[in-house]
Amino acid sequence: MGLELTASNIVKRFGERELFSIEQLQVQEGESLHLSGDNGVGKTTLMKILAGLDKPCAGRINVTPNMKGRWSTSLHPKVIYLHQTPYVFSGSVKDNIAYGLKLKGISRGQIKRTVQSALEWARLEEFADHAAHSLSGGEKQRLALARAWVLTPGLLFLDEPTANLDKQSVDSVTELVRKMVDGGAAVMISSHQTNPLTEVCQRSLLLADGKVSESQFPKEMLFDA
Amino acid sequence: MQDNLLETSMLSLQLLFSLDAELWDIIGVSFRVSITAILIATLPAILVGFFLAMVDFKGRWMVIALFNALMAVPTVVVGLTLYLLLSRSGPLGDLHLLFTQPAMIIGQVALAFPLLVCMSHSAFQSIDKRAWETARTLGANCFFAVTTIMKEARFALLAAVLAGFGRIISEVGCSMMIGGNIMSYTRNIPTAIALETSKGMFAQGIALGLVLLILALLLNFTLASIRGKGRLV
Ligand SMILES: Nc1ncnc2c1ncn2[C@@H]1O[C@H](COP(=O)(O)OP(=O)(O)OP(=O)(O)O)[C@@H](O)[C@H]1O
Ligand SMILES: [Mg+2]
Repeated sequence: MGLELTASNIVKRFGERELFSIEQLQVQEGESLHLSGDNGVGKTTLMKILAGLDKPCAGRINVTPNMKGRWSTSLHPKVIYLHQTPYVFSGSVKDNIAYGLKLKGISRGQIKRTVQSALEWARLEEFADHAAHSLSGGEKQRLALARAWVLTPGLLFLDEPTANLDKQSVDSVTELVRKMVDGGAAVMISSHQTNPLTEVCQRSLLLADGKVSESQFPKEMLFDA
Repeated sequence: MQDNLLETSMLSLQLLFSLDAELWDIIGVSFRVSITAILIATLPAILVGFFLAMVDFKGRWMVIALFNALMAVPTVVVGLTLYLLLSRSGPLGDLHLLFTQPAMIIGQVALAFPLLVCMSHSAFQSIDKRAWETARTLGANCFFAVTTIMKEARFALLAAVLAGFGRIISEVGCSMMIGGNIMSYTRNIPTAIALETSKGMFAQGIALGLVLLILALLLNFTLASIRGKGRLV
């Protein structure tokens, strides 16, 4: 029962201006994609639409299996979008990691154990009780990943997760994302340049002139360069 | 005159601390009415503020401007409007609410509501859109996402509630017109001060004024310390 996302005929306009129009886009379980494109082509907008946070002007997005309850107003529980600069809720690092778990009505003991393992997973133990606002950019990025990891996502959208990070932080984020991919999650990573993180990706998509195309440069060639 | 002022002041303190029944009765009416009014107004007003901040619809700016304008309407005008509605020949005259506590509560709700809407609207406006999106993508349905945003904006929202309370507990025009200043029932602090002063009896007025002054200080110190906690991060 792998997760599969299919988007068909997605159109997004802002007023008169058409940002993009995409006929078909499919993401399957275990895939990792790099979405590239220049500033302002609409990478963020596209990923938010795919994640259900934004509405397209036309077209539909289908995620199977559909795990939403019939009357639920929630988004798909296994599809998670992470912002370029994460928003951390007020409260401690632990509170932030527990956010999604608390919504699922899991027992306190279970939440505590899961939060603990997430802290270890993201190497955030020493910050466990710090105010989340006080973390650095790189630490917040790891917190955002841990906050998603506890919900065992099947499809993760990462919006330029390394944009403001130094080399070391890029490496640790890359390591975490690789662990998620190895764990079977599909990821789509947007960024306008290649970096260690995007090398995790098997497929490469290019968003340009309002269209998405499978990029000309397969991964092997990037390694050669 | 000097002596007189001193004397009245002493008398007013005596009234306050001797737990003068009439005086504390008036204070009781004030707090009962205003606390009830603020409890009724708060949640709906915050939800309207949230709606105005989050939902983009045609004419939104007009609604916002309208609430801003309502905030500036003098209390006597609100009182007059309600008087016309509630008086015996008015459209709601059959409810027999004029000169009752419920009428005062209605008036104070009407006074507090626009202020609460405007202040909670700007409280929500200062919250990042990413907060909503993060809550949603981590599995919150719309209801829980709203509670999350309210929690993120809690200091500014509390400031709104305190400011609203400050406005209604000290207003005189509306309470006077639709409450009627009936002792032990609709006489609250501001209307009592107005009456006593007009009768030339200053002691009770000063005592009640002191209560309002202390309350204003308390509210504002609380507000200031909340602002301190809600500092930029
Ligand atoms: N709510 C909006 N109203 C009007 N225009 C918008 C809105 N949101 C985004 N846009 C426009 O859509 C375009 C694409 O924005 P988007 O953030 O998706 O680009 P991006 O590819 O992620 O860019 P970057 O690489 O800089 O992050 C931009 O030109 C932006 O101005
Ligand atoms: Mg972007």
